[in-house]
Amino acid sequence: MFGSKKNNEEINYNEIPAHIRRRPYYIIAPGLVILIGIMIPFITAIFLSFTNYSFRLPKWSFVGLRNWINMFTSKEFYHALSVTLRYGIFATAAEMLLGTGVALLLKKDTKYSRILKVLFTFPLMVAPAVAVLIWQLMTSNTVGVLEKVLNLIGVYNFPWAASHSTAMFTAIVIDAWVNTSFVILLVLAGIQSLPKSPFEAAAVDGASAWFTFKTLTFPMLKPFMYIALLFRLMAALQEFGIIYALTKGGPGDTLMNISLTGYINGFTYQKLASALPFLLVLWLLINKTAKFLVKRQRHLANQAAGK
Amino acid sequence: MNQHKQKGIMRILEPVGRNLGLTLFAMFALFPLIWMVICAFKSDAQMYNTVFRFTPTLENFRAVLIGSDYFRAFFQNLLVAGGAVIVTVIAGVPCAYALARYNFRKKEDVAFQILSFKFAPEIMVILPIFLIFQKIGIYDTYLGLIWVYQLITMPLLIWVVRGYFEDISVEVEQAAQLDGYTWYEVFFKTLIPLIKPGLVASALLAFIFAWNSFTFPLILSGSKIQTITITALRYIASDTVHYGQVAVASTIAVLPEVIVALFIQKHLVRGLSFGAVKG
Amino acid sequence: MKGKSLKRVFAAMMAAALVAGMAGCGGGSNDSGGGSGSDQPSSNSGEFDWKAYEGTTIEIQMVQHTASEAMVNKLEEFEELTGIHVEYSITPESSYFDKVSTALASGSGSPDLFMSGAYQLWDYSSAGYVEDLNTYLDDAGAVSPDYDFDDFVASAVNALKWSGVPGEAVGTGQQLGIPLAFEVYTMAYNTRAFEENGLEVPKTYDELLEVCDALQKWNGENSYAVAVRGARDWGTIHPAYMSMYAAFGAKDFEIEGDKLVSAVNSKEAVEMTEFFVDMINRGGSSSWSKYTWYDCGVDLGTGNAAIVLDADNNPVHQNWEGASEEAGNIAFAPLPVAGEGDPQISNYWTWSIAMNSASQNKGAAWYYIMYFTGKDFAKYATIEGNSLDPARTSVWESEEFQTMMEGQPGYIEAYEATIENTTILFTPQPYFFETTTEWAATLQDIVAGKYNSAQDGLDQLKTKMDKAVEDIDLSQY
Repeated sequence: MFGSKKNNEEINYNEIPAHIRRRPYYIIAPGLVILIGIMIPFITAIFLSFTNYSFRLPKWSFVGLRNWINMFTSKEFYHALSVTLRYGIFATAAEMLLGTGVALLLKKDTKYSRILKVLFTFPLMVAPAVAVLIWQLMTSNTVGVLEKVLNLIGVYNFPWAASHSTAMFTAIVIDAWVNTSFVILLVLAGIQSLPKSPFEAAAVDGASAWFTFKTLTFPMLKPFMYIALLFRLMAALQEFGIIYALTKGGPGDTLMNISLTGYINGFTYQKLASALPFLLVLWLLINKTAKFLVKRQRHLANQAAGK
Repeated sequence: MNQHKQKGIMRILEPVGRNLGLTLFAMFALFPLIWMVICAFKSDAQMYNTVFRFTPTLENFRAVLIGSDYFRAFFQNLLVAGGAVIVTVIAGVPCAYALARYNFRKKEDVAFQILSFKFAPEIMVILPIFLIFQKIGIYDTYLGLIWVYQLITMPLLIWVVRGYFEDISVEVEQAAQLDGYTWYEVFFKTLIPLIKPGLVASALLAFIFAWNSFTFPLILSGSKIQTITITALRYIASDTVHYGQVAVASTIAVLPEVIVALFIQKHLVRGLSFGAVKG
Repeated sequence: MKGKSLKRVFAAMMAAALVAGMAGCGGGSNDSGGGSGSDQPSSNSGEFDWKAYEGTTIEIQMVQHTASEAMVNKLEEFEELTGIHVEYSITPESSYFDKVSTALASGSGSPDLFMSGAYQLWDYSSAGYVEDLNTYLDDAGAVSPDYDFDDFVASAVNALKWSGVPGEAVGTGQQLGIPLAFEVYTMAYNTRAFEENGLEVPKTYDELLEVCDALQKWNGENSYAVAVRGARDWGTIHPAYMSMYAAFGAKDFEIEGDKLVSAVNSKEAVEMTEFFVDMINRGGSSSWSKYTWYDCGVDLGTGNAAIVLDADNNPVHQNWEGASEEAGNIAFAPLPVAGEGDPQISNYWTWSIAMNSASQNKGAAWYYIMYFTGKDFAKYATIEGNSLDPARTSVWESEEFQTMMEGQPGYIEAYEATIENTTILFTPQPYFFETTTEWAATLQDIVAGKYNSAQDGLDQLKTKMDKAVEDIDLSQY
């Protein structure tokens, strides 16, 4: 078909009949319509961030860069940025390590592993708000079952999400509970698509498990891990549901990441235009990071496929 | 001699270690779910002072399934999430094909833009979308929600399926065409079966994301459409917190996803391999 | 060449999208307010007719509450009586106001009706979203003959009357909503805890602190003395905290010239906050900052908390027979005060039905309000739906109610001792959500010791609150 070089010759587009030439547009059209329709809110958001739009006021007017300047000179913004980065990085790291580890453990095909493979997808299916609820009930100091278990080893009244020092840990535990399955699935997919011959050769040569992992498994799994990393990091940076359901950003401002700050300022306080710059910065951060990771992943994937 | 012994020990320790690790993780991953199902059968009075020994009751089920409009929310959620996935598949697969096959400048950029929709902060887009939906009259409609859900369902599907298409060599299509099939027949008879694992796995993930979405339905649906994530939280409290009812609502809410997953479990893992690395 | 045409298509689509987006913004003005004047109440006929709006469909947004459940049960009867079809949605309380704020702000007229408390109505009416119900109450032809407006508990209706001037107390002005249920703040306690430890129910703050020390861990390692709300939202400030805050003589805002100025760092305010923090540290739960009203109730019911300082209608549901482990051991008393004999001051909250000023079906919406705030429904909701406290005096005085509350010792006495000095203690202003949420967050930080002192934390809070209300100019009223 088009686009590829046939026998190392350039394709002369003029020689291809029009109805085939235009085919790509026809094919992409429905998808594009849907997607364009969604581009509009992005542009609107950028536009509104330069106004003082608020539902309270009957008319809005341009205020130039005021919202932006206010944001960059506020303590709130830098704190939110710090929380966003910390939560994003730690949650993703935890999920990647745990997920990859478990996937490797599931590599060996036994009856046990086959059952577990299916069961391990279940936490992903629970809505985050419900997951928070279950964990709140289990960790409650007064009525929680986990509390009773901890009591057995002499730990009483562990504050979980109620204390400044353990709130982020708690949120990350719940995030990891829901989302590690995603990483497991992706890494498992990678493991199962690995070619057998290099491993057989290595076994014959008497390579140790660690050596095999370091030089064979890990490099070949990288493309898959990158995808998992990409999706999880991007999601964790903008995590809203879990944190809002857990403490609404508290205690104090401990868990107020950019998404939450934007939501509370924009929806709860109805100060929409001043909340938009926060969210636009988040979007920019995510976009740039994603672009970088995607480039790396495509590069690695092409490398691994020998292109 | 020592090496031999070492290998022998390793051979015994390895499965033990592996199964121990798996079991530990299984406890972490599965206990809360088991707990949720147990709570569904516990009465409010016994909810907190009993662990495993209690008198099971169906009162929570009655209150949720018969005493409230749970099923209405359930079917609405099914319509919206299912509809969103169907639209995604119909519009997304051709998109993925075009991105795989046709070369145009900025192709990677377009592909990336599509992917970036998944990462867009929901909070940022939700208000402009709300305003626009109100203006054009699709607020609180199935059409509106299904359209918005494309933000979360399309990107992953296009990416996974594109990977699969890229992996099918052009020669396969050309050979089929030489055999006299039209392009459309080639597409449906030859190509689709080859991308089935990827399509099916990413469709399931898309369904899960759509099914569990909270912020979009909260703001973009009024009274005509109530999705299940919000409905499940309703049982929390009006007079006191009814964890048992929440447990029932959540357990049943998980069922469609579980059923679909069980159906396609064969394809699930293989499907996400993107065909990235081959033999 | 191919690349170019694709680019052109793309660009054209983007331009179209941009134009549509601008149009979608409403180009400079917001269309909120200004609903239809077409269904004014029937002022031509003197006769009231329940079927006047037959065939209309109206939409109401409800919050998860016993009153809402009762309303849903009676929707069929309402439709039979009036021919009005009702579409409803119930949202859990934690997300409710975000959703209503957004819906009202869109100016679309949907929903026609919504449930709300008084504070939120200050916010909404300042923005012009709320219909003044005096229009209907004053029109004889629009009110059903057995409505009996005087039967309402006076404080409940007055709490929803506001002139619209920030800083002016409630009680006069527009009728922003009609009450379904209300609550006052009292103390609920576990009689067993006090008997077993030979303690008297505390009447003063000092006695309360002594009880905190004595009853911490009274029922095992996880139990504690006093349960109060602590979550990061407005709900933490308005019950017991605000009641005691006012009892110490502190105010949230003062009027200085043309501006509202926060008084949250005054001497009295600091004194009260230090007391509150002390109480939590000595007798509160280790997870206090996560507590919302039902967590407090549940802890009382499971025997983990000895005392709850919260709405009177909260712990009630733990005490019905068989409802919880400690059912039958719970009794009520008024909140402690500074010195014995001091007036019993309490804040006030009411869930009411309010009307969207942009509604296209105001007449039918008014009929809904009349039916569901009427005497018959109020009785049904309370007696059979456990919706408390009823906003209708006739329900309080009814035999069924007296019988029903016999299982709640001290409830009615505590209510009667408290109701005299009960009013809305907040200063009405439109930025309520922001000022009280920041207040709750600051309180959380003070309790956790993140500030050098309560004074320090409250000073910083004052700065935030002042900033939130800075554009209020009283000279324009």
